[in-house]
Formats: sequence, structure tokens, C-alpha cells
Amino acid sequence: MAFLMKHTWLAAVFSTLLFTMLPCGMLCSPQARAAALQEYQVKAVFLFNFTQFVEWPPAASPNTAEPIFICILGEDPFGAYLEDAIRDEHVDNRTLAVRRLSTADDAQACRILFISRSESARVETILQHVKPLPALTVSDARGFGERGGMVGFVTEDNRVRLRINLEAARAAGLTISSKLLRVADVVANQGASR
Amino acid sequence: MASSTGELKKLSLEDLANVEVVSVSRHPQRLSEAASAIQVITAEQIRRSGATSIPEALRLADNLDVARKNSHDWAITARGFNTALANKLLVLIDGRSVYTPLFSGVYWDVQNYPLADIERIEVISGPGGTQWGANAVNGVINIISRHARDTQGGYVELAAGDQLEDQIVARYGASISPTVNFRVYAQHFDRGSEVLSDGRDAHDSWDQAQGGFRLDAEPTARSTLTLQGDYYGGSDDLVRADTAKVDGGNVLGRWSHAIPGGSDFSLQVYYARTHLLDPVPAFVINGNTLATAGFLTDDLDTLDADFQYRFILDERNRVQWGVSYRHTRDDVSNAPALAFLPPHLDQDLYSGFVQDEIALTDKLTATVGSKLEHNDYTGLEFEPSARLQWRVADNQMLWAAVSRAVRSPSRVDRDLSQPGPASPLQILTGSAQFVSETVIARELGYRAQFSDKLTLSAAAFYNDYEHVRSTNITPVTFLPFFFQNNLKGQTHGLELTADWQAADNWRLHAGFDPLREHLHVKPGQFDLNAALNETADPRERASLRSSLDLPHRLEFDAALRWTASRDINNGTTIGTVPAYCDMDLRLGWHLRENVELSVTGQNLLHDHRAQYGFPGPSQVDIQRSVYGKLAWRF
Repeated sequence: MAFLMKHTWLAAVFSTLLFTMLPCGMLCSPQARAAALQEYQVKAVFLFNFTQFVEWPPAASPNTAEPIFICILGEDPFGAYLEDAIRDEHVDNRTLAVRRLSTADDAQACRILFISRSESARVETILQHVKPLPALTVSDARGFGERGGMVGFVTEDNRVRLRINLEAARAAGLTISSKLLRVADVVANQGASR
Repeated sequence: MASSTGELKKLSLEDLANVEVVSVSRHPQRLSEAASAIQVITAEQIRRSGATSIPEALRLADNLDVARKNSHDWAITARGFNTALANKLLVLIDGRSVYTPLFSGVYWDVQNYPLADIERIEVISGPGGTQWGANAVNGVINIISRHARDTQGGYVELAAGDQLEDQIVARYGASISPTVNFRVYAQHFDRGSEVLSDGRDAHDSWDQAQGGFRLDAEPTARSTLTLQGDYYGGSDDLVRADTAKVDGGNVLGRWSHAIPGGSDFSLQVYYARTHLLDPVPAFVINGNTLATAGFLTDDLDTLDADFQYRFILDERNRVQWGVSYRHTRDDVSNAPALAFLPPHLDQDLYSGFVQDEIALTDKLTATVGSKLEHNDYTGLEFEPSARLQWRVADNQMLWAAVSRAVRSPSRVDRDLSQPGPASPLQILTGSAQFVSETVIARELGYRAQFSDKLTLSAAAFYNDYEHVRSTNITPVTFLPFFFQNNLKGQTHGLELTADWQAADNWRLHAGFDPLREHLHVKPGQFDLNAALNETADPRERASLRSSLDLPHRLEFDAALRWTASRDINNGTTIGTVPAYCDMDLRLGWHLRENVELSVTGQNLLHDHRAQYGFPGPSQVDIQRSVYGKLAWRF
């Protein structure tokens, strides 16, 4: 009895697999395989994309002999993902490089400053510190955009979404492409009204 | 790894924002969920529904049949078998299983949580045995509470009305450091009686108090720690009996860690205890008292440890495996009219599972795996499944699955003695020969999203059940009747939903769920109840919901649900709960950003009406009810 039942079950699995596998083959995009990737792998690619969709003022990282720096302040959640994302890439004929900072004082040469979640409590202080710099501030600390940061990563429904504070970006002389704004929620400072 | 980062870089920004990620800080999504009949109830939907309890919130999932039996009891299933001893649904609250081994069902009266602190409820209809193990036969409900980071500050909720007489919920959350957050909460409610069909008081009012905490920490950027616990106590008046006392608590710890390169693991350990004191009426047959009235108490202790590991084997294969162990100690003090023998039972459950998600092509993903589980009643059980997910287009997905699941014996099936051993005569007993019920489910599903405005989902299933519970008679002596596994049969049905954003401020939802059941006695075998006692289900259910945002920060929600007639049989006597339609309405007003006032009316279309129960003196009608609520965040 039990043996017969298992036998029918196996037959059913095989027939279903055969049946549903047939229509495949011709339809392919990278979407499906990208399912369930690591959060920071996606965030790393976003950081790279920002170099393409944000315009910096000429004053930003003027030393053309140097690479363009993406900086991480605080605990590094990316591992090798960020290096992977920028390898062999160029912006204005300059290479890209990752720099890991221990204090905000070292952020002078950064085009993008990623503030790690480990610095959540000090976000306001850090932002105040880097305000004079033409750096795009990015973080996944809670409420980053509303706290005066430029780009906040928010994970919703297992997807990485952007919250962009346009006012903060403009104040630093940065222009954010409409293509990037299209996939983001625009937020405003909340600190000002409180 | 490098190549998949390369692939990500080729995506448009829109696609990149739609890539699904495994978030370290959140409950990771199970691999095969996408290829299943999953319906997710969001926190916002719960808030706007005006639900006052988890069972009421579950009405938002069309793939569940939710019927209120009386003030404190509910009948809830997916895909049929919604009897008083419904036993084919697995329910987890933050990863903690809440079914009772007494009958493998759920005591819904003791599953409470502040609804404002629930992040989402995932309802998966269809077998989930490969991941979740025995009892995930027809569905799995995952109730997931909010991360402590998302419940910072104070929150107070006050509600009062006619059925929900009064309810108070208070919560406070704070940060100990940027990476360590916690909340504590307490709630209490009194709920009034419903009525019998003649309008008399049903004597089923109840009250409960509950408190708890949740602490979430991120000791490093790659690991998360969760520690949480709850404690409750209350009393339920019983229809035609005295008052039941319930209390219980749990404490749970979970550690998740992500390893660079795409692997992660999680270790979860919990301990839970429940206490139940239930008055049991005398057992009287033809005027002869076989057993006097008394009390049954049940003390259940559960210790559960679960380890899961996921890794990327190669470009195509993502593998997940896990092992778990559960020890339960069930201690019953028997009533004269109802007993479990032996009264004290220690049981061990060991299980392991492995599952591989294989990217066959860029559009086609297969997930195959099996659980292997050992229980003390029936030994080794296996619960394999094969799922296939085909992304037809960016906005459309087809999936198919074949899976086997088992419902292992509960104490009712094995250890029941009714009345107890002191009686000269037993009428109904469990049987040491009772084996696991099994199902082989074949499912086909489709999900599509058109232009952000319209979302459709359809799932079809064909289930083949074997060894379903029957009742036999003892040869020669006739009594006692005892449980056997003499039924088999098929069920099939559809689960259809549509969500339409009709305007920026107006959202509509419709659902339709037909179900057909064909259970019969195995050839040459016997069932005293003629295969009529394991199902109690409507042939169709339908729902319509509307969510409208109005000017002046007002919101108006309406939910209409229709249930076809439900046969609830008592032995071979067929009883019917007639078809009915009912409606809930809610009007909410955001007085300020952090203050919300609302009025909710429930079951508005009838003064009182039965949703469940064999027609007779114990059948309870559910009344129309209204309550007002104030919610304040600070």
C-alpha cells in the first residue's frame, strides 16, 4: 500500500516537470536569477550607478590624477561587493576606488560618502561635518533622507528602494538625474520643522 | 559572485529597484514561497480593516475560510476540512508553532498580539511540509511581528463597543544603542457574550490580559539577534458549561548571520508553555450518567530548536538545509467524561530538510526538496515537493508544484478515551493503530501585475488524500467506537484574487474561492459517519473590499463577504449553516498625524446569525457589533 503510493507520487513529479519545462528555452532575461540576492550586493550596484546619474560641481575631487573615491564611513557591510561593482569602470576617464574611513574628517576626497548603519546615532553630526563638501551622502540608517541625508536606502518588501532628499543634494551643488528620481521617493527634511 | 554583480549592473534602475534581496535584518523569505499560493496581509490592511483580533485579520486572506464559532472560538482552514477538530493548518507566530498536539488544531482564543505591532501575515495555502513539517498539510500561516526598530516611542490604543466591551493596548519602544532596540507591551480586553438562535445570552463572554517584549540587536553589520517573549492569562465562559481558564507564555531567541559570498544561517530556540483548565460536562446517554461533570487540565511544555543554512552552491543552485528538534511534555489531568491515556506524555520530534533552488534558465526556476521527520507515533515521515516558477514576462509569473504532506496523529487520534477509564463503558477512543493522514497536492498558479493598477492571482489545486480519519465499531461488543484511517478522497478548487487601484485614493479587491470535496470510505472498509465528519466547508466563498481615502484626512473602508451554505454533520445527521452575506465598515479620521479616531461596525447585515456550528442548543449566533477606537502615538 505505502509502496504503491510513493510510486504514484514519483510519477506525478516527473510528469509535471516534463510538462512545465517544455515552453521555456526562448524566453530569457537576467531577472529571475537575480532573485534573492544579498542586500548589499544590490546596494553596491546602486552606489556605482550613482556615479553615472549624479552630476558633481567641478570643485568635487579636482585632482584628476587620483581615482574617484566612493567612501564607507563606519563598519563595512559590503565585503567585496563594492569593489566588484566598480572594477574596470571609469567616470570622466578616471578609475573608481573604494576608501574606508574611520572619521568624517577624512571625507575630503569622496564623491560618494556611504554612512554605515553602525553610525546611525551620529548621522546628524556627520552630516553637519561634511556639509561643506560636494559629496553625495548615502546611508541605510533609519530615516536618513528625512534627517538631512541625500539618498536613503530603504528595504521594503525585500526590495531596495531609494529616498532622495533633493534639497540636501542641491545645497551641496549636486544635480540628480531625473532617471534616478523616477525610481525614488522624494523626501524633505524633517529636522527643520521640529 | 562577480558575474552576478555584473548582471546587476546591466539592469535598468527600475529593474534594480525591483530585484528581490535577502535582507540581513529581516526575516528571510523562504525560497519556494514565490512559487506557491501565498497571500500577504500587510499592517496597513489590518489597520484599515478594523480587525480587533488575529482571526478577524485573517479574513483579509481570501485563501482562508474564517468562521466565528462563538465569542472566543474560531474555525479557520485553507482548502477545506474546517471541522471542530480542524487539523490541517500550521500556524506560526514569529517562527513559533502554536498548534496544540491535543488535536493538532489551534486554540485561537489564546493567539493574541497587539495588531499595531504586526508587520505582516503571510498565508500560504497548499502543503508546506517540505519546509515546515507535519501539519502543514493544507496551509501555513506566518504571523510576523514588527522589528523593534520600527516600533519606537509610545503607543496607546483605547477601544470600546458592544461586543468588544473594552480594550487597552500600550506599547513603548526605545533604543538602547543605535544597534539595539526593544519594545514592551501590555494589552487587556473584555469581550461580551453572543446569543443563541432564540436571542438568549450564549454565556460565552471572555477576557484576557497579555504582556510581552521584543529586543532586536545587530551586534555586527552581518548578524542580527532577536529575543522576545509573551505571557497571557484569561478566562472564557463556555456555552452550556462553566468557565475555562487559560494562561501561558513563551520566550524565543533567534540568531541570524550572513556570510560574505551569499550564505547565511539562523539558529532559533524557543520554549513555550500553555495551561488550560476546561470544565467538561457529564457524559449522559439515554438518561444514564456514564461519567459525572468535572475538569480537564492540560499543561503543555514545548522546547524547540531549529537551525537553517543557505548557501550558493554555484551559478545555478541555491541550497537550503536545516535540522530541528522539538520536545513536548503534555500533562493532562483527566475529567471523568474526557480523558487522554496516558495522561502524561513526553514526545520527541526530529527533522531535517534540504531544498535546492535551481535556475534552469533565466526565466525558469525549479525548487526541489524534502523534509524527513521522525515522530514517536508513526516513526519516519517524508514530505517532498517539486516546484517550478516560470517568469513569463517581467510582470507575469506561472508556477506549478507537486508536494506530499502528512498530518501525523494527534493525541485525540491515539490517546482519547470518552468517557474516561473509570466509566463502565467507553463510547469513543483513539487507536494505537492510527497512522498519518497524507496528501499529494498538485497546484498550478498565475500572478500578474498590469500597469501598477491591476494585480491578478489565480491558483488551482487538486489534492489526493489517503488515510483520512474515520470512526469504526468494535467487533462483537460494538462499543467503543474508535478512530481509524478508512477514508480517502480528492478535493479541488480555485483561489482567485484581483486588486485594482481604481483611483489614486481608491483601492478595490475581489476574491472568489470555489471548493469541491469528494471524500469516501475505502472499498471494503467502514466508517460509522459515512465519510461525513471530516469536512465542514462551504462550496464557494467570495469577498469584495474597498479602501477609500477621503478629504480632511478621513478614510473609509468596506468589506463584503459571502459564504455558501456549510454542511456541518453530527455523525450521519447532516446539519447546515445556510449561506450568508455580511459586511464590515470602518470610518477613520486622522485628527493629527499621530492621533487616529475610528468607528468600526462588524457583521452589519444581520442582528445575529450563525457562521458555524451544528444546528442545535449549543450553536451560537454572532451579533452585529460596533466599536470606537482611539490610537495615539507619541
